[in-house]
Amino acid sequence: MQTIIRLKDVSKVYGEGNTEVKALSAVNLTIQSGEYCAIMGPSGSGKSTAMNIIGCLDRPTSGRYDLDGIDVSRLSDDDLAHIRNRKIGFVFQQFHLLPQLSAMENVMLPMVYASVPLEERSHRAEEALTRVGLGNRLNNRPNQLSGGQQQRVAIARAIVNRPVLLLADEPTGALDSKTTEEVMEIFAELNASGMTVVMVTHEADVASQSRRVVWFRDGQVLHDHLDPADLNQRAIAAS
Amino acid sequence: MVDLAESTKMAVKTLTANKLRSALTMLGIIIGNASVIAMVGIGQGAQRYAAEQFESLGPNTLFIIPGNDGGRRGGREVPRTLTYEDAQAIASQVPSIAAVAPQIQSQQAAVYGNRDTNATVMGATPDFSVVRSFPVEQGRFITDEDVQRRTRVVALGSDLANTLFGTTNPIGQQIRIRNISFEVIGVMEAKGAFLGTNQDDVAIIPITTMASQITGNVSLYGTEVTFISAMARDDQSINAAQFQISNLLRLRHRIVNTDDFTIQTQRDALTIVGNVTGALTIMLAAIAGISLFVGGIGIMNIMLVSVRERTQEIGLRKAIGASQSDILSQFIIEAVILAVIGGAVGTGIGVGGVSLVGAVTPLQAGVSPIAIVVAVGVSGSIGLFFGVVPAKQAAKLDPIVALRSA
Ligand SMILES: Nc1ncnc2c1ncn2[C@@H]1O[C@H](COP(=O)(O)OP(=O)(O)OP(=O)(O)O)[C@@H](O)[C@H]1O
Ligand SMILES: [Mg+2]
Repeated sequence: MQTIIRLKDVSKVYGEGNTEVKALSAVNLTIQSGEYCAIMGPSGSGKSTAMNIIGCLDRPTSGRYDLDGIDVSRLSDDDLAHIRNRKIGFVFQQFHLLPQLSAMENVMLPMVYASVPLEERSHRAEEALTRVGLGNRLNNRPNQLSGGQQQRVAIARAIVNRPVLLLADEPTGALDSKTTEEVMEIFAELNASGMTVVMVTHEADVASQSRRVVWFRDGQVLHDHLDPADLNQRAIAAS
Repeated sequence: MVDLAESTKMAVKTLTANKLRSALTMLGIIIGNASVIAMVGIGQGAQRYAAEQFESLGPNTLFIIPGNDGGRRGGREVPRTLTYEDAQAIASQVPSIAAVAPQIQSQQAAVYGNRDTNATVMGATPDFSVVRSFPVEQGRFITDEDVQRRTRVVALGSDLANTLFGTTNPIGQQIRIRNISFEVIGVMEAKGAFLGTNQDDVAIIPITTMASQITGNVSLYGTEVTFISAMARDDQSINAAQFQISNLLRLRHRIVNTDDFTIQTQRDALTIVGNVTGALTIMLAAIAGISLFVGGIGIMNIMLVSVRERTQEIGLRKAIGASQSDILSQFIIEAVILAVIGGAVGTGIGVGGVSLVGAVTPLQAGVSPIAIVVAVGVSGSIGLFFGVVPAKQAAKLDPIVALRSA
């Protein structure tokens, strides 16, 4: 099996002097292609910091990060932008759809920055939206869609450039339990079709969909391979 | 890197999504451009108008004026050193001159029956009509014989004839100037105003009659005249004429160093007018340019606000793969589009304003196509210039910080 993510002694320090915060300290983490991995842990434990580094939105202060075989820990801003565009799909808690654009246009956006030809763009966007069950909502603006539908548009946008890695930081944090289920179904389907999924969540229900839980505490990986099945007692014990 | 067409499409999308803000952003550029176009157009109209006025004085004309620049600028009364005899000498001795018209000028009351009015009375010679391109419409003009015999005859400007006689035929009637009776022999064609002075409110009498009976001053040198106009044979001989007249008058006036007369050609006058109106145009354009500059600052201002408002959008675009130059070009293109459209609309308004001025005033104000191209080009550059700062700010945003700013 192929390794997609390899973090080696990754640390992240914010600020300097007496305002210094060590958000991550010597994190080692390896995730294989095709895994469905949930990241959990108490608030402030460094989950989002780790996701930002994994998603190439940020660089580690020290340590090395290989994404899909490339050492990305020292790349320039524009090189990281290129990697984010081609290899990574993001899903955020706040959806982050552009309000002036239709569902189609929002989904086409990553392809604009990938210089995909115009006809192929609309074809692929429609395909992605159909895959998340929104084939009949192509021309709706975000404010004409429910929260769950908006998050599904965001998922379509994340997968449309055929990334090797789908990252989601609390994707259901803004959704009710019913729409949470809808969205989780899509993640499960995507993973079943081979997509590597890494997801930060606070909800045990959500994490139980995954096949591996990584538990963070105080900027370190406390448990690397928790079984989602015995999550509840462990979670209580850990926090 | 996203191509230009794509960035332009995105910019248009954003701008049309915020129509009111886009319109307000353009307002400064619209006003700036409209005023540049209007000011330059009207300034050039004024320039053309003044030039035409001087051309209407008669072709190839030289004006010989007593005194010199220094004397006149000092505001002192200039000695009337030019005489009727000088004019006769010029006529007989300067070969490049076709006609000479000395004139004595004075404001006098003109009376017919119970009507009286103030008019410019001119003592002139027959050549006056030729030199100044001022023909008679009815009756005849002053003749050599009138000048020799100092007859009391008068040719009336069209306005004066109208004021005194109304519908009555003036020819053969008697009018009184300074209580002396004159027979009306002719009425001149209407000539219009010269730089705002009515040229048709005149009474033209023989110069000798003027000198001996109305205002004549005979000095040591001869019969003083107000000034002399002369017509060169053709436009090639204007410079020669100026030189020859200068020499002749210096000789006659026994001048050693400073001339006591000034010769101005129509071309000189045109140059002066050109300089004055040119300076005026530049000044107007500068004022308008400042407002264009202020319009540019307006664009920068609103773009800066817009960058702050759209922080999350910028963060998202960067997160999904936009490079710094993608964001930079998107915002610069937005600024340039605003500026170019604002420039075009402003130019349209400016052209409309200029046509309006042209329609209601004698100024033949017009806007050259080059001015339009330049104006729109300049506003585009202003958008580029003032769009850079906000665009750089947008491009440098950290995507994590930008995404978190909810
Ligand atoms: N930009 C920053 N500057 C300074 N400190 C930061 C910054 N970002 C995060 N931190 C700090 O780093 C630590 C880890 O933050 P992080 O956001 O990764 O936590 P988290 O596990 O995602 O928490 P939550 O569950 O609340 O989202 C926290 O103490 C946080 O205050
Ligand atoms: Mg977090």
